Amino acid sequence: MQSDLRKVLLEAFHQANGGFVSGQNLAEIMGCSRTAVWKHIEELRKDGYEIEAIRKKGYRINKSPGKLSGNSILLGLETKMMGKHISYHESLPSTQKIAHKLADSGAEEGTLVIADEQTEGKGRLLRTWHSAKTGIWMSLVLRPKIPMHQAPQLTLLAAVAIVQAIEDTTSLLPAIKWPNDILINGKKVTGILTEMQAEADRIHSVIIGIGINVNQGLEDFPDEIKETATSLSIEEGQPISRTSIIQSFLKHFEILYNLFLKEGFKPIKLLWESYAVSLGKEIKASTLTGVLYGKAIGITEDGVLLLKDDEGEIHNIYSADIEIS
Amino acid sequence: MKVQEIRELIKLVDQSTLDEFEYEMNGTKIKMKKNSLQPEGITVQQVIPKEALRQEEVQAAPIPQPAAAEKPAEEKKTETAENLHKITSPMVGTFYQSPSPETDAYVKAGSKVSKNSVVCIVEAMKLFNEIEAEVDGEIVEILVKDGQLVEYGQPLFLVKPE
Repeated sequence: MQSDLRKVLLEAFHQANGGFVSGQNLAEIMGCSRTAVWKHIEELRKDGYEIEAIRKKGYRINKSPGKLSGNSILLGLETKMMGKHISYHESLPSTQKIAHKLADSGAEEGTLVIADEQTEGKGRLLRTWHSAKTGIWMSLVLRPKIPMHQAPQLTLLAAVAIVQAIEDTTSLLPAIKWPNDILINGKKVTGILTEMQAEADRIHSVIIGIGINVNQGLEDFPDEIKETATSLSIEEGQPISRTSIIQSFLKHFEILYNLFLKEGFKPIKLLWESYAVSLGKEIKASTLTGVLYGKAIGITEDGVLLLKDDEGEIHNIYSADIEIS
Repeated sequence: MKVQEIRELIKLVDQSTLDEFEYEMNGTKIKMKKNSLQPEGITVQQVIPKEALRQEEVQAAPIPQPAAAEKPAEEKKTETAENLHKITSPMVGTFYQSPSPETDAYVKAGSKVSKNSVVCIVEAMKLFNEIEAEVDGEIVEILVKDGQLVEYGQPLFLVKPE
């Protein structure tokens, strides 16, 4: 089935809000015969949708598939741009690589690459991120028309959107560790890595790569990260819908992104600070060239971390791994 | 007097409001004059007496004859200022010469690059900015160290364009 027609079909069901849509109606919307509509419905059934058909009433979707797919994300997605184009894969080495390729070939802003499983997830400096089938592994393509030095602020913005999505779908209280790690009860559930392609003064694309531990059990984590990592379902004590989190993230991201483009980093900074766990605490900042100890006293208007050492000297931290003591 | 010092003098005079400059020390005499019709034109004359040639300082400089003094200084100057392309950092952040500490650097001195070659990464707040060469050519010099914090506009590489 052509994915465009499928999108139209799913959108029609979404508009009906769980109600029936007649075959005639669908045929008109999709611009095809009622027999063709029936074929499309069959395709959706094969994908795991439970669709009820009643004579004279039409079709309705009783249940969307539990497994992750582009369609299940599109159904009920409340955005204008973010996630409107989805490239779904059962297994990928890395969603970032595919997103780069799509961005190079002109993919629209808001294009989302998503994989059920990542075999070579990228962490900072290529450290691999454990990417089981029970997590969310996705990359979002952006084309912001902003000065290049503002682009790093998008990573803080993404963290706020994820925190809001977790709050929407669970009863958990997520916190952000500078710049954009998300912690629950002190353990990491989300990693964000952003890559930018730009020339001179023009940004081609910013690709935000996000990994969220959702339904992993304790046994899914390798021993070396058991103490420092967790999943949403471990913390919540029940399974969480990956589709709901993705939809909620895209919704919040779109709102924050539009706000950022219009009003700059200021409103985002206030939200970020309200979730920040590292501020006011003694921290250790490790960089490639050395280690700094001190108190995290805040972030600048640009999102740069301010660390005050024992001598009272204030350091601007642009990149470091932060540990809270 | 070394070529380096002459070059420095030219630069200073060039940027100043002086029209003429004369300098004499240990038998070495330099005279510079700006042509008011062509502001960028500078003439250099270096007169080296025979006895001065014996001095180590002068022998170290690659100036066999006084007459040749004008040329190398001028050429060197234009090469750094105009012929070499500077790749600068578009933002404040950490300079990484390789994708990870375990892998090789993207480029080293002598590497051939094309416009779209990635030469390094500048990272801030976990945003990784792949910096491209922007010209076809050869890397002449890497001006910063791995892991160093770089400023906005700071030169990172010198490239000899092809």
